[in-house]
Amino acid sequence: MKMNYKLLLVGSVVAIGTMVLLAQNINEREAERVALTTSPSIAHVDRAENEKWARYYPRQYSSWKKTKENGKIIDMLEEKSQLAVLWAGYGFAKDYNAPRGHFYAVQSNTNTLRTGAPVDGKTGPMPTACWTCKSPDVPRMMEDDGELEYFTGKWAKYGSEIKNSIGCYNCHSEKTAELAVHVPYMNRALVAAGLPTFEDSTHQVKRSLVCAQCHSEYYFKKEKWTDDKGVEKTAKVVTFPWKYGLTAEGAEKYYDEVGHTDFKNKISKVPVLKTQHPGYELFTTGIHGQKGVSCADCHMPYTQEGSVKYSDHQLQNPLNTMDRSCMPCHRQDEKTLEEIVHRKYERKEQLHELTMDNLAKAHLEIAKAMEVGATDEELKEARDLVRKGQWRWDYAVASHPSFFHAPEETLRLLSVGNDYAMQARVMMIGILAGKGVMNYSAPDFGTKENAQALAGVPFQKLVAAKQEFKRTLEKEWNKEAVKKGVWSEKTKNEQEAADIKAGASYPL
Amino acid sequence: MKEKSTLKIIAIIAFIIAAIFFVYMAYIAKAWSYLSKDPQACINCHVMNTQYAAWQHSAHAVADVTCVECHLPTDGFFNKYKAKAIDGWNHTLAFTFDTYDHAMKISEDGARRVQENCISCHSSVTSTLVSNADKYHNFRQPYVENGRKCWDCHKETPHGKVRGLTTTPHNLGVKEMN
Repeated sequence: MKMNYKLLLVGSVVAIGTMVLLAQNINEREAERVALTTSPSIAHVDRAENEKWARYYPRQYSSWKKTKENGKIIDMLEEKSQLAVLWAGYGFAKDYNAPRGHFYAVQSNTNTLRTGAPVDGKTGPMPTACWTCKSPDVPRMMEDDGELEYFTGKWAKYGSEIKNSIGCYNCHSEKTAELAVHVPYMNRALVAAGLPTFEDSTHQVKRSLVCAQCHSEYYFKKEKWTDDKGVEKTAKVVTFPWKYGLTAEGAEKYYDEVGHTDFKNKISKVPVLKTQHPGYELFTTGIHGQKGVSCADCHMPYTQEGSVKYSDHQLQNPLNTMDRSCMPCHRQDEKTLEEIVHRKYERKEQLHELTMDNLAKAHLEIAKAMEVGATDEELKEARDLVRKGQWRWDYAVASHPSFFHAPEETLRLLSVGNDYAMQARVMMIGILAGKGVMNYSAPDFGTKENAQALAGVPFQKLVAAKQEFKRTLEKEWNKEAVKKGVWSEKTKNEQEAADIKAGASYPL
Repeated sequence: MKEKSTLKIIAIIAFIIAAIFFVYMAYIAKAWSYLSKDPQACINCHVMNTQYAAWQHSAHAVADVTCVECHLPTDGFFNKYKAKAIDGWNHTLAFTFDTYDHAMKISEDGARRVQENCISCHSSVTSTLVSNADKYHNFRQPYVENGRKCWDCHKETPHGKVRGLTTTPHNLGVKEMN
């Protein structure tokens, strides 16, 4: 047989080509296999600037940066107009949007109508404490100025200091990159609750506590102090109401004990407790919390990229990362799990709307009684009931999806809250009848405009003032921050561009 | 004539290079290991580290029941090597082109084989189950007793309840790795 050398040559060359590619692939994978078991390097960085950490932790940084993708502005007062009635006379009736990604924390805080339109460092409605959960510059300022000085003064005081958005230094040691909390109030809260301090907690618990330093219920506790020069000052210190446990009833007991009220409802004069976001507290009552799952297990799933295993720092809804977040433990298919979660949401929504409607009507019925001459004494009991009801409703829904973290506790709080609202409404029927008012029906609060009108919010005026602030003082802050080296020109430009982009879909 | 002999020499040299390369490929890919029943062959790629580590700490490892004894047909040489070839091909594609999930799930055919192997070893237990299962007959899937696999209940056997590419609780790593 005659040998076909041409064919042999072509065949051999093709085989060599293919094998070179394959060999390369195999050798790469072998390198991955070895690299996967080696530890990451240790960082020594300027603590507050997130981009300085990027050199040492490129994947963590770039995944953190992806929190930018969660940038859609959802106006909650449009979605649930009852809110403006419930929070009449309080900042949240002015403006309340669904949260965006960590990348936007400082921007959202600067833009919201709640922080007002200061014209210098000493004006504006809010205290410095409002920055507390927004930036790694916060622990920096606490360390540089002292905690009490940080908590003293107006929000605008730190306009040019607090610029970098929630990032590395909020949860990590700048020396070892180990989990760390740099705000002293966290440990004070844990001690008050009788729990181990952050440093004494296990790593798995720390993986939730770093989130809990912000995703918890808090209030601003007034503390008088004297500075080095002998000047007397009052600090407003972020404090968790954990003395009687991490529950709605425990926090209420604490607030009643210290005589705390967040605001008096403008419509009904009910002394309201406004819940912030007791996400961590509720999570501990749910099945995932009970089983020792941590926040990071689902929201920052382990990810493998080539030879590197790391925690995904794009904090987001785990339903977007089910393969990594849910499937390592759950054996059902993703669709089935998603349907189960959605059903939990629908159950919550039904009670959520019902309770809000009844609370809003109770406020308006009390207002009607005031109009026809009911005295504070006559209305005291009804107002107390609304305070109790609104606290429970707010506690149930103020944090990130509690319907998932703690379905039982959420539904319990909503139904108990609704019961208080209904008790108040029944009482109001009697009081109104006593004043000769029969079959009173509360005015419509079904749109944001109607509800804000009832709450007396001059929305357009507030927006105009905010826009003026953004054109002037905010621009100065941004420039000054670059000059002081708080953030880089690059970060500033990036944040400003993102802000303009978001502004296109929202007046602010 | 001269041209032809040059071609011949080049072709033969290319063939020899290809052949040597083939041997080298077989070496770096640890190709021979796939003919064995050694579980370490299954962690030539790191994607199976979790399954290996979990198995290593299980009763099945203590009883020296290896990967292939559950995952491959045990009813003869031909079926075993056919399954090995098909799985091997699929695994090679998935690993080379990065198409696997983070939380990998067994294929339907793989699950059938494992279930058969559960039954064949644990026959005395399963015969009771089968007779009981008749009482709770599943009319939708009459061909499988109640449509369930052993590990629907025995979730931790033998790979643990929690597992993913990067998720191996209570495990410090695969000690066989360098």
